[in-house]
Parts: sequence; structure tokens; C-alpha cells
Amino acid sequence: MASDGELTEECARLIPLAGIDPGDERFRITTRRDSDDLHLSIDRLGLQVAPLVLPGAPSFIVVSGFRRIAACQGLGWDSIRARVLQKASPYECALKAIAANSLERPLNLIEISRALRLLDQYAPNGQAPPEDTAALGLPTHAGMAARLKTLCRLPEKVQAAVLEEAVSFAMACEFGRMEEGLAVTFARLFRQLKTSLNKQREIVALVAEIACREGIDPRQVLAEDRLSRMLDAQDLDRNQKTQRIRRLLRQRRFPALVAAEDNFYSLRQRLTLGDNLQLAPPRDFEGTRFTLTLNFESLEEVGRLRVKLDELVAHPDFKTLLTGKSRGFGETSVP
Amino acid sequence: MRVAALYIDAQVADWPETRSICSRFEVPAKTVATPDEVYADVAAAQDPVRRGKQVLYLTRNKGAFIRQCPGTNHYTCCGYKILHVGTFCTMDCAYCILQSYFHPPVLQYFLNHADLNAELEQLFATRTNHRLGTGEFTDSLIWEPWTGLSAGLIRKFADQDCCVLELKTKTTFIDTLLDLPHRRRTILAWSLNTERVIGSEERGTASLDARLKAAARCAAQGYPLAFHFDPIVIYDGGEEEYRRTVERLFAVIDPRHIVWISLGALRFMPDLKGVVQGRFPQSKIVYGEFITGLDGKMRYFKPLRMKSYRAIAQAIRAHAPDVCLYFCMEDDEVWQDALGFRPADRGGLARMLDEAAVRQCGLGSGCRRR
Repeated sequence: MASDGELTEECARLIPLAGIDPGDERFRITTRRDSDDLHLSIDRLGLQVAPLVLPGAPSFIVVSGFRRIAACQGLGWDSIRARVLQKASPYECALKAIAANSLERPLNLIEISRALRLLDQYAPNGQAPPEDTAALGLPTHAGMAARLKTLCRLPEKVQAAVLEEAVSFAMACEFGRMEEGLAVTFARLFRQLKTSLNKQREIVALVAEIACREGIDPRQVLAEDRLSRMLDAQDLDRNQKTQRIRRLLRQRRFPALVAAEDNFYSLRQRLTLGDNLQLAPPRDFEGTRFTLTLNFESLEEVGRLRVKLDELVAHPDFKTLLTGKSRGFGETSVP
Repeated sequence: MRVAALYIDAQVADWPETRSICSRFEVPAKTVATPDEVYADVAAAQDPVRRGKQVLYLTRNKGAFIRQCPGTNHYTCCGYKILHVGTFCTMDCAYCILQSYFHPPVLQYFLNHADLNAELEQLFATRTNHRLGTGEFTDSLIWEPWTGLSAGLIRKFADQDCCVLELKTKTTFIDTLLDLPHRRRTILAWSLNTERVIGSEERGTASLDARLKAAARCAAQGYPLAFHFDPIVIYDGGEEEYRRTVERLFAVIDPRHIVWISLGALRFMPDLKGVVQGRFPQSKIVYGEFITGLDGKMRYFKPLRMKSYRAIAQAIRAHAPDVCLYFCMEDDEVWQDALGFRPADRGGLARMLDEAAVRQCGLGSGCRRR
């Protein structure tokens, strides 16, 4: 970055608020729109830091201080003291706009994305020098920066989900590769569910694979009646909704496997094993060995477990469990 | 897929067979000291797998020509030996494991056949029953238009009495093999699938009819045959279509010509899924009900495999009750369910297949069994 003397000249002066174009957001970094907090402090203490503007035709262009200007407008002011840039190039304005934010507070992901985009947009060669990026406290790793830059191009509803932290950076990047409408649909779902990244990934993968296999649009999968009803259910909390939706999707993606699991669990329940005896099937029913775990701390307990084991061996459902695996524990369960 | 670039390992550049193969291509050949340039060519392509099918590298096999089939734990392997004559394939099956097996995948043909013959002589000298095949890392017959590989091997195997060679293919390149003095020591084998799977997933391969006609022509010349329903793809209506494929097989082929038939449901290393999704976005084969098998490969949920196996085995048994029918890489539970016995009941799978080879290919009685 060049020295400030060389970079820009600015002079503080009183300018009419009506002469500022609030709709020109080319240098806007901040995602926050409201200015209630500033409203109070400016009203009581006055404007502590003058916004930075660039003379334009016919209005001034805001470089930094969007919320301060909005707060002053909200207070009914006619004019404000502003720092007016002289002879500043768009890139120099971009540097000023980013610095005013990134050097004052931590930026959120969308703001970082906007900042990186802004640098690229106005950099003389289309790419900002890494020294400038580093000086502004922005990520310099090329791969990371490239991924971050996609965020501010996502649909607004997806960006809102990122800002709410309902959608992580990793998932937002996945959304960036999706068709816009689908990304918005997923973002809406995850804003409601507020679930972990792993569960989001599972849901996205299940929906995508169901859609591919059935030759339908993924949004049709998400629009399924049962899923919508689960999402709207008033008596379920977010975790319960997430759990049921995952199960519904898994059932559609792996019908035979889920049916076998259900059959197994229902047979196992009929065995009334109690708390000290656990029976687990081979993983995904692929192997042939079941696992029986015994928990005890005294000889008496072992004796009781022995009796329980004898009962188990004689139980007809136990035999069905051991012999019915290959058919999903019931002929009707395998399509 | 056509060969678009030809690279020659400097060590084999002046060998007569190298010149002979080069003369069959209209693309310029480039001699290279190391394979790095070949790999770089393939790796630089937008679709390295596709490029790997178009780049032929003539070189030496610097390792062993005869290798044990890399069967995995927990599932029964047939004890096959791989004759490692080359790598990769010019056809483009969506499910092909070779797409993610080689890094990068390159069409390589090994020319040091003196070494190959020496290893075969050594194996033959043990006078032990062995089954060998060239169709593990490549299709056995894609090389026929350019080389005399199979003819040489067929003659070589005809000169001994203990081993059989299996040439496994999805092509119909048999014309150069028909009149050879094979002495039934070479089994010509075809992978079979339903018309739907061949049409949608096996790009560049011969049609089912063409494969069966080629097999019938080989049978007419006295060649023993084998068929591999592998990979079996599970889909709605699939069982009925596999039954129809079985019908068509036996409408053309007398079961008495068949040494063995194998069944194997689609399975693949997890890495392959991304390759298939990237290269064949229209393919649905990776969206079946796959679970992670005990060997780390993706396999259909076992009851689904068993159901398909039962249906296909039943159809085969209806036409060929005595044919040696086996599973490639399945466990005892599957065997028992679909065929009613376990390999161990009959001395093990390797023994079953060796005996089928002895019976059908007339191997010598003086050979040792493994």
C-alpha cells in the first residue's frame, strides 16, 4: 500500500445530507443495515468520526459510514461533517472502505467476501497485491480467498443464513455450486433447523442422491408432503424435526436397509433384554457376527444375566434375528 | 475410443514388436526416457481418465507378469492368477474400477514377452493346476487389433497340460483366434449384462448379441467358454432383465461348452463414486443401496444382493444345472443362501474351479492340485 499522503487527500467539511446518494453501495462492506445503536449515541454525543465520501456527479458517494449517515438522516439532520476525498482512485477508495471496517472490528464472512471482491473489482490489474490484502487483515491464501469471494454472490437468503450462522462457510461454499433456487431452499430449511454441518451435509447428500436416482429436481424431494409437515409441526422442536427429516430422507434413499433396521429393532425390543444386556447387529448387516454385551458388577448380577441368556436362547424372536438377517428379517421388507 | 497419442519407452524403442505396433497407428510416436511425460500428458487433461484411454504407452513390465489376484479379506476369492500384460482399457464403462485404480490411468502395453514367457515356463514346470487370466487390469482382447498377444499366449498354453488361460472381454475381437491350435487350454470369456446396463453404462463395448455370437463362433471352434455376470446392477425390473439375458445366453450357447459362470454384484472403492458422478452425470449406478463392505468397498445391501443372486442363479440352473456357478468375492452366507452350499463343502472355491477346468479343458491327470 502506498503512503497515505500519496494515496489520497481529504478535507473535512459540512455537506448537506440531501447531497449524499444513500443508494450507491459500491463501497459498502458492512452487512448490518439498522442504525438504532448509532442513533442513540449520535443524538447524545454527536458524530464522533466523520463519514468518508467521494465527490460524484450529482451526489456524494459513500466510502465508509453508511450507518452513521443513515442515523443522522434518521435524526432529521440537514447536513453532517464528512471527510471528502480528493483525487482518489476507485481502488484507493476501496482500500479506505475496507480499512475503515476491517481495522476496527472483526468482519463476518459476507463482509470479508465483499472486501475481497471489492479489491479485485478495483485493483488496477484485476487482482489486489497480496501486501494490500494482508495489510487490511484479510485472508491471503489464494484458495481460501477464492472460496470466500463466492459468498457475497450467493442469493440474499443464503447470505442471511450465513450471517445467522445457520449455514457454515463450508456449506455456503457447497451452495455456491448449486443452482440458485435449490441453494435458497436449503438455506431456508437450515435456517429453520439450525443443525450442525455434518447433519446439513447428510441432508444435502441424501436429497441430491434421491433426486439423481429418481430423475427429479432436488427441490421436489424437499417439497415432499411428509417433509413439509414435519417442518411445520408445532409440537416438535428443532432437534426432533432434524432427526425426523434425516430419517425420512434416509428411508427414501435406503429403503431396504432402513426397513431391515426397523425390523431388527422391533424384534430386539420383543426380547426384553433389560439394561444390562445389549444386542448389536453386524454393521449394515453385512458381516455375520452379532455382538452381545453384558454389563455387571456382582456375581448376583452375572447369575441373573445367565438366566436372561438362557431365556434369550430359547426365545423364537432371537432365532429369527440370527437367521433372518439375509432377508432383512422378513421377506416383505426387501423390495 | 481411438488412440490419440503414442509414447514409446526408450528401452523398447528398437524392438521389432514395437515397430510393428507403431505401424498400425497413424498418430506420431514419441520416445520417452521415463513415463513422467506420459503421466504429465494424461494428468494435464480436463478428463484424465478419458485421456488415459487415448494415450498408449509401449513399455516393459518392470514387475512380475504373474500375480495373485488381489482378493480382499472376509470374502471368498477364487485364487485366480493375473497375467499382467497391460493396463487400462479403450472402452469406457461407467463402473470400471480401473478409473480410480491407477494414478494416473494410462493405457500401457508391456512388450518384454521374453520375461513373460520365462515366468510362464516356470509356472508350467511346477505341473500344478492354475487358472490365469489377462482380464483383470485390462480387457483381454482390446489389444488384438494391434498385437499378436492372445495368439501367442494361446499357443503357449496349448503346449502344456496343467494350466488354463482365461481371456475375458467385452469385445468381439476373436477373428485372429479362431483357427489357432488351442487344445482347449484357453477359455474365452465374456462379461454379460442386461441390454439396459450395456446401453447405459458400458460405452464402446460390443452389444449383448454380438458378444454371444462371438462366443458361439469360438465354441464352434472348440474353445471352452466362460461367462461373467459381473457387475450385476440392481435396479427396478433388473431381475427380469437378467433372466432374459440368461435366456439369450442359453439360446445361443450349449451349456456343455461352458466351464464356469460367475456372478458378482457391483462393488467399488469409495473413490470411484466421485469419478462416476463427475464423468457420467447421467449414470444412476452409484445411487443404489450401497453400504460399506467388510473390505472397505461399497457393496449393495446384502439382502438385495442375495435376492438378485437367487433369481439369476435360479435362471442359470434351469438351463445348466451342472455348470460350475460361482460368486466373485462373496461370503459363505451369500453362497448358502443363493446356491445352497458353501465353497468349503466342495473343497473350496479354488478347488471347484480347478476341477471344472480339469473337466472341461482336459487338463492332464498328472498335474498337482493346489
